[in-house]
Amino acid sequence: MRPLQPLALTVSAPPHRHCGVTVRGRMGNILLAMAPAVVMAVASFGVSGFRVMAMAVAAAILTEAVCDKFMDRETQIHDLHAAVVGLSFAFLLPASAPWWLAAIGSAISIVLGKMVFGGLGGSPFCAPLIGWAVCRLSWPLFMDLDASMLNVELTYPLAQLKNFGLGFVSVTDLGQLFMGRQLGGLGAVQIAGVLIGGLYLILRKHISWIIPVGVIAGALITAALFNAADPNVYAPATFHVLTGSMMFGAFFLATDGPSSPNRRIPMLLFGLLIGVMIIIIRVYGVYPDGTPFAILLASLFTPVFERIRPKPFGVR
Amino acid sequence: MQNDTIHLDLAELTLEGRAALVSCGQDVKRGQRIAISSSPGLGDLHSPVAGKVEHVDPFRIRIKADGEGEVEPVELNSLKGEGLLAALRELGADLPMAPSLNTLIINGVDEEQGIGSRRKMLASHQPTLERGLSAVQAIYAPAQTVLAVLKDSEHSLAGTASVEIAAKYPSGLDPLVALAATGKEAPEDALVLGLETVFQAGRIMETGLPAMETVVTCGDSQFLVAVGTPAGAILAKSGQTPKDRDRIVLGGVMRGTAASSPRQGVSKKTSAVMLVKNPTPVALDAPCVGCGQCVQHCPARIDPSMITSYAEFGMYDKAEAAHIDSCFECGICGYYCIARRPMLQYIRLAKCELAKAKAQAGEEVAQ
Ligand code: SF4
Ligand code: SF4
Repeated sequence: MRPLQPLALTVSAPPHRHCGVTVRGRMGNILLAMAPAVVMAVASFGVSGFRVMAMAVAAAILTEAVCDKFMDRETQIHDLHAAVVGLSFAFLLPASAPWWLAAIGSAISIVLGKMVFGGLGGSPFCAPLIGWAVCRLSWPLFMDLDASMLNVELTYPLAQLKNFGLGFVSVTDLGQLFMGRQLGGLGAVQIAGVLIGGLYLILRKHISWIIPVGVIAGALITAALFNAADPNVYAPATFHVLTGSMMFGAFFLATDGPSSPNRRIPMLLFGLLIGVMIIIIRVYGVYPDGTPFAILLASLFTPVFERIRPKPFGVR
Repeated sequence: MQNDTIHLDLAELTLEGRAALVSCGQDVKRGQRIAISSSPGLGDLHSPVAGKVEHVDPFRIRIKADGEGEVEPVELNSLKGEGLLAALRELGADLPMAPSLNTLIINGVDEEQGIGSRRKMLASHQPTLERGLSAVQAIYAPAQTVLAVLKDSEHSLAGTASVEIAAKYPSGLDPLVALAATGKEAPEDALVLGLETVFQAGRIMETGLPAMETVVTCGDSQFLVAVGTPAGAILAKSGQTPKDRDRIVLGGVMRGTAASSPRQGVSKKTSAVMLVKNPTPVALDAPCVGCGQCVQHCPARIDPSMITSYAEFGMYDKAEAAHIDSCFECGICGYYCIARRPMLQYIRLAKCELAKAKAQAGEEVAQ
């Protein structure tokens, strides 16, 4: 036998093959899935919408880099998660949001929604919602969609519903709502774009269909029950699904990995709970759109849902 | 059958926890016992060549083939039951203890795609397999013997009922084969033996000499090789040349061991030698990002993300409470992990630490 040359072989634990999806790849795909809504938002709100998104993304990335510096560890901003957080946060803001609100909220999302828990994977909440909640409670005037957007002709159907009643909602045409002719979170209300992105993520298996279906089903059923009780007071189920950040929440926020359950039945229950809570908050709560709080609330229940699990292999 | 064989100048035998019985510079005969097994289910180790021991360390023994002589064959035909088990284990068959057995399952399905060693044995070594089968039946005296074969394959073995296994990973792994054969998960009264073990038992019965051969797949062909044949030599035989930074994998790509050098020899259980080229990713020291992929794909229905995180931080008791024992090390969690965590390594580490702790506790109780 001929002598074997000394070689520098790679050694590593099995498996020696990988599915190819990385954190960066997943986050890149999520950003790609948000692109249609970004385009629609810019078309709808112009430079002001673009400005808010750019500010939030930049602030998120910068904040994470600074946090990593203070935490004395190698930064992971290249995994693109910070960009996803920043953009998701911007999607929930009104296009009129001042620059400092976008920056501070985005930074809070990263610091309180991610880094204090040790980084990606540690947080029990979907990070952008933390920033949103802090801003909503601290600067309600700037987060209030109606008050801040008086100078545009679009209307905020959910606030009209909340404040004046069903008869005063100016846009009820579902097609108009679907195309984003409404106020709300600047990206979240681009229903068509959000839906395209969400379906893309499901088809590419980056998210599971169970949670979005659960959210939408839960909302449809609850809203239909209210609507059946009194159609003059309670909006139809389809109206609810196509307004506010319901769709965006269902596909992009509720599916956040660490804060949502991983198994099928818990995922479905988690989705349903969000859907039901959104409608209940919209009907009884003080906030016109219940999506962010509903998701935050359901995240608290994730550990409970996760207790529903099959028997491990071979355990009797 | 011998024309596939690879001439052996240098054999490197992996100890896998056995204790070496030889020292450097010692002359050994072909078939001489060079290491003794201390764990149940693992046979002793014998030199496949006559020659001089060149190197011994806690992991391997290297023997240069330049000697002569062979051990005397052992007479085995009069033995049965425990006596036969002890004799076969001493001659290198990896046979575990099993007190009362209802079903003996012979796993004739290759564990992973791209491996054809067991199929090759079924196709070309029927007499040896039959001899081995009657030996293991004489040891375990099972009520029934089942042969697991790949779905739609023609293979069978006299004296066994067949059960068909789908050609989809991980269906060919022992625990899932046991489930298919008995309808029960982790049945207590069944034992799964890999076909190569039956083959080796058959060789021992035929020759009276220790088990020193196995069938490995490399590329598209199967080779009958001596245990201890360097992986690099087998690759060369099949026309593959490893380059810098490649991986030589002993076994399948999902579960196999990466060889530390092309000289590392195949063991009795090595089913394949594979060359994995870049840019297959290497695992990273990364925290779990909570994507849930591993949980969704784990065939043992456990939560690999929690278990590996416990292992990462040394909380082995929690890993045990999370049913790490149900894991049958298929490697699927690591295949899907988007953070590229070394999942299987963490799991094996935790299992090993738990076993150690248990052994220690047992010793303390005994004192
Ligand atoms: S190796 Fe991973 S996927 Fe396979 S059984 Fe074990 S925990 Fe589950
Ligand atoms: S696949 Fe990896 S990153 Fe995802 S949950 Fe499992 S261990 Fe965590």
